Amino acid sequence: MAERRPDRVRGAEHDRFWSYCSSDELRLQRCATCRHLNWPPVSESCERCDARDLSWEALSGRAVLVSWCTFHQRYYDDDGDVPYDAIVVELEEGALFISNPLGFSMDMSAVDMPVSLAFIDAFDTAGPFRLPVFRQTV
Amino acid sequence: MSAYLEPPDPTSELSRKAAIVGIGETDFAIDYRAEHQTGTQTDLASRVDSLMSLALDRALEDAGLHRRDIDGVYLMPEMVEPSQRSIKALGLAPTFVQYGGWLNHLGNAAALLAADRAKTVALIFAAPFRSAARVFGGTDWHGAARDSYYYYHPWRWSSQAAHWALMYQRYVSKHRVDPDDLGHVAVSLRRHAMLAENSIMTEPLTVDEYCSSRYIVQPLRRLDICLVNDGAVCVIMQHADVAKRGPHDPVFIAGWAYEAVRHSKLECMVKQLLQPLLAIAGSQALDMAGMSLGDIGHAALYDPSSIQLVNQLEGFGFVMPGEGLDFIKDGNIGLNGALPANTSGGMLSQSYMAGWNNLVEVVRQLRHEAGERQVPGVNASLFATSTTDTTNPYVLTRGDERG
Repeated sequence: MAERRPDRVRGAEHDRFWSYCSSDELRLQRCATCRHLNWPPVSESCERCDARDLSWEALSGRAVLVSWCTFHQRYYDDDGDVPYDAIVVELEEGALFISNPLGFSMDMSAVDMPVSLAFIDAFDTAGPFRLPVFRQTV
Repeated sequence: MSAYLEPPDPTSELSRKAAIVGIGETDFAIDYRAEHQTGTQTDLASRVDSLMSLALDRALEDAGLHRRDIDGVYLMPEMVEPSQRSIKALGLAPTFVQYGGWLNHLGNAAALLAADRAKTVALIFAAPFRSAARVFGGTDWHGAARDSYYYYHPWRWSSQAAHWALMYQRYVSKHRVDPDDLGHVAVSLRRHAMLAENSIMTEPLTVDEYCSSRYIVQPLRRLDICLVNDGAVCVIMQHADVAKRGPHDPVFIAGWAYEAVRHSKLECMVKQLLQPLLAIAGSQALDMAGMSLGDIGHAALYDPSSIQLVNQLEGFGFVMPGEGLDFIKDGNIGLNGALPANTSGGMLSQSYMAGWNNLVEVVRQLRHEAGERQVPGVNASLFATSTTDTTNPYVLTRGDERG
């Protein structure tokens, strides 16, 4: 069942990111000049070198765990329960990505633990979408 | 936003050209208790005006000056738009006014005074955080332009506390420390707060009590996160030559620096724990002051969360990476320790004034007027504001002679 989530940031480059997600693809903007992988999406130019030559690179979905936390404080007025977990993973191709764990708990977590991309059904004010999350690599 | 938050580039020509001659703060503890009884207020503008006016009165009295002496003003209220209306309400008629900004203006004011563009400058900060029932997270929270403050809502990741939590979990895993050892920060600062006349939290605190306090964003507990309260702070500065005629020993602005994350914020924040940023800025500020770390006898580090105090101890080089918690556990940031830090209780136990309360304490220490909390013979302090993506350290000194 789809989960209610707080609203996504919308706008041209953001919508493009989410439209890739809707076909279960994780794509981020790679700068052709300095090779930097931009995340969150940038509107016109690379956040690192300001070049405008960006392309949406399809990523492997392989990543390692960098850090994690568990929310006990409720910051959102949605129907989500606390406590819940959030993680930071480092994508094989370069960027750090904040996400949620799928099917593993924080006491199973370790730095550099391999994780793999998965998508779950979610919806917000703008409608249904596919949310990229990460499960333990088996 | 960057230029607006930066001090001038550090240069030794500006070192010790200006000094703090007056300090004033509102009644943090009395107001905090009253706020809890009366609830929230809606007229934030008049609340802020009255807080600023009281802090200004007290700073002028402390400096032995009058409103007519003030010809430069940096007006920095949080959550209300600063305006000419406030300047008038404060009874000031300055020739130089700057609205908004932060502790970067300690450096900007020093440069202004050095260039003789003003004679006596008042820096006034005010925050009605409690009256406004400010919550530092959720979809209403757009506290800064950086992506991390608003972008990750679909993953239910937000809040100031969550930034610090990711950093501390990384720290725990990387350095293999006992997560509960962070409690020694809160306990050390509480001891200081108990000796400070204007502290909100003055009940004794033990590490056991810390360990039983609730989590906000695990691994961080309530006692790892700063207070939310109303208040104002005013600091009055003059050119170094004039400052020596005041009723108190002047406190000189000897050095500063500013560094900000330019890209890949999460990398710098979570993986590097801000260490490269802090190392560069810390050494630049010391270079400008003509000093080294060994000359620093007191520190006032930005403490919106206990972990950030540890990050700065390590990043500025007082201890090696991974040694901060043991350093604190061994009593080294206490009044008799190797580096007494946040000696009025900081933002965890005294008052959350975005660093300005810590600055007032630095001035008291360097004047040798800190009473029971006085660090004997202290001549130089490292005072810093360091957020999740910027750092702005200052070296303040008791005398104007080079180290």
